[in-house]
Amino acid sequence: MASRAKKIRKRRHLENQMKKYFRILSNEIQRQFSYRASIASYALGNIGELLALAIIWTIVYKNIDSVGGYGANEMVSYIVFAWFFSFLTTTYAFERLVARDIHRGTLTNMLVKPQSYIRYLMTVATGRVVIAFLIVLVQGLVVYLFFRDRLIFEVDFLTFILLVLMLIATYFINLFLSILIGFIAFWTVEINGTYYSLKVFSKFMSGTFFPISLLPVFFVKISYFLPFVYTIYIPVQLYLGKISFVEGLKGFAIEILWLVGLYVIIKVVWRAGLKRYESVGI
Amino acid sequence: MIIQVRNLSKTYEYYKKSPGLWASVKGLFHREKLFKKAVKEISFEIGEGELVGFLGPNGAGKTTTLKMLSGILYPTSGEATVLGYMPWKRQSEYQKQFALVMGQKNQLWWDLPAMESFILNKEIYEVSDADFKENLDELVDLLDIKDILDVQVRKLSLGQRMKCELVAALLHKPKVLFLDEPTIGLDVVAQKNIRDFIKQYNQKNKTTIILTSHYMEDVKELCKRVIIIEEGEIGYDGDLASLIEKYAPYKVLKITFEGEGIKKEEIQKFGEVHQFTPHGITLRVPREKAKDTARDILSSDLPVDDILIDEVDISDVVRKIFSNGK
Repeated sequence: MASRAKKIRKRRHLENQMKKYFRILSNEIQRQFSYRASIASYALGNIGELLALAIIWTIVYKNIDSVGGYGANEMVSYIVFAWFFSFLTTTYAFERLVARDIHRGTLTNMLVKPQSYIRYLMTVATGRVVIAFLIVLVQGLVVYLFFRDRLIFEVDFLTFILLVLMLIATYFINLFLSILIGFIAFWTVEINGTYYSLKVFSKFMSGTFFPISLLPVFFVKISYFLPFVYTIYIPVQLYLGKISFVEGLKGFAIEILWLVGLYVIIKVVWRAGLKRYESVGI
Repeated sequence: MIIQVRNLSKTYEYYKKSPGLWASVKGLFHREKLFKKAVKEISFEIGEGELVGFLGPNGAGKTTTLKMLSGILYPTSGEATVLGYMPWKRQSEYQKQFALVMGQKNQLWWDLPAMESFILNKEIYEVSDADFKENLDELVDLLDIKDILDVQVRKLSLGQRMKCELVAALLHKPKVLFLDEPTIGLDVVAQKNIRDFIKQYNQKNKTTIILTSHYMEDVKELCKRVIIIEEGEIGYDGDLASLIEKYAPYKVLKITFEGEGIKKEEIQKFGEVHQFTPHGITLRVPREKAKDTARDILSSDLPVDDILIDEVDISDVVRKIFSNGK
C-alpha cells in the first residue's frame, strides 16, 4: 500500500512539474505574438544571407564545373539546406536574455521560487523560437520554389527521421551553448563580444556558409573535435547522400555525446556562477 | 519564533580603482581587493504574525539581510532560520511558504497581462484550482484591480503594477512575506493604497511580514516594532512609539516669510531655531506644542507666508540613535 501511495505522489509531482513548464512555454509563445514585427524583421535578414551566398556561388560556377567535388547544383543544394537547417535551429541571441536576467537581477526572482532556472531557460527558449520556426518553414517553401530546378530533393523515410532527430539535437546544442555564453554574465558586465565571436566561429566551423571539406585538412581535422560540424555539415551531407545512413547515425550519436557533455558543463558553470551571485549579490 | 537570526554577517568583496586611464591599465594586472562589511553580526527574532519594519539609510544592510533570509545571498558567517529552514539551502518546501517583493524589480511578465503571470505562479507554487480562485478573488477585491488584469503589464502605471506584484507574491498564501521598498517611487495616494492593503492583509491572514522602507510614513502606519540598521549594525530593536518619543520628541516647523523678512530675535522665543535666513526658518518645538506654536506664530505680527508642520526626518532619528549609542 505504502509503495502505491508513493507512486501516486510521484506521479502527481511529475504532473505538477510538467504543468509548470508547459505554462512557461505557453506564456512565452503568447509573448512572441506581441513581437510579430520583430520576428518578421528577422525573416528578412535570413533571406538576405541566403541570397548573398547564392550569388557568390553562381558567379564561381560560371567558369568552373566542380569545387571540392561539388557540382553547381550540389553546391546550391548545400547552401540552401545548410541555410535552412541553420535557421531552423537558431536560438536567436538567447544568450543576451540569459545575461540580462543575471545583470538586471531578474534571476533573484527566479531563485526564490520553487523552480529550476536551467529548466526554465530551456522552456522559455523553446517557446521563443516556435513562431520563428514556423516562419522559417514558410520561407523554406518560398526558397524551394525559387531554386527548385537546381535543388537535389530525394530522401528516403528513415533518413528523413534521422535528419529530424539530428536537427532537434542541433537546436539543443545551440541552446546549451547560448546558455553557457549567457552565464559569462556572472563574471563580466558585457557578453556581446564573446557572443559575437562565437557566433561567427560556430557558423564558420559548422559549415553554414560552405562545405567544411573545402578548408585545409588541418581545419577539417580540428573541426571534428568540436560540436559545430555535427550541427549543420553532417546533417546536410546526410541529406545530399554524401555520407551513408550509418555515418549519419554516428554523427547523431556524437551530437548526443556533446549534449550530455555540454549539460554537465552548464551545471558546473551554473553552480560556480551561483556561488558568485550569492556572494556578490550583483 | 518564525524567524531567528543569530550573529549573521555578510562581507562583500570588491576592487579599488583610482581615477584615470593609467590606473585602469594598471588595474588589468593588479587590483587591490577591498572588503565591505554590509551586515555585521546581527541577531533578532520575529514571532508569528508580526509586522516588523526595517529602517535605515541606503546601503545600511536592509536589503542584504532580506536577501539572506530569502536564500539569494549566502552569509559570510552566522546563522538564520525561517520557519525552521535554512534559507540559503533553497529547499522548495521553504520556497513554497514565503515570498519576496522588491519595489525595484518585477517578477511579472512584462509583455503579457498580469493574469498570465498569476496562472504561471499558480503552477510554480502548485496551488490548487479552488485555492487559486479563492485567493485571487480576495486579493483582486482588496486591491480593486479587477479591470486591469487583462492589460499588458507594461501598459500599467507603477502603482497598478505594484498591486499586481503583490497579488503574484501572495497567491500561494505565504506564511512569511519580505517587502523590500514596496512603495518606492509611488505617489502619495498609491503609497497609501499599498499601505492599507498590507495592513489589512497582515491582520486578516496573520502573515509574518518584514518591511523595509525609508518612508517614515510607511513604517509609522504599519509597524508596531522597528529594527533600525545602520552600517550593518542594529541600532534599535523595539516599539516604534517609544522610539519616536525617545529620539524625536519634537516636530519641525518650516516657515517662510514675505516682504522684508524677519530678525532672528523675533522668532527665537517660539522655539529652538535650527536654520535661519530672513525669509525662511526651521524651528524645533516639542511634539505636543507644535500646533499651538504654529497658531501663535500665525497670529503674531510676523509676515508669515507659509507654515508647515513636519516630522523629523527619519534619517535624522536614525543618525541620532547611532550618535547616542556610541
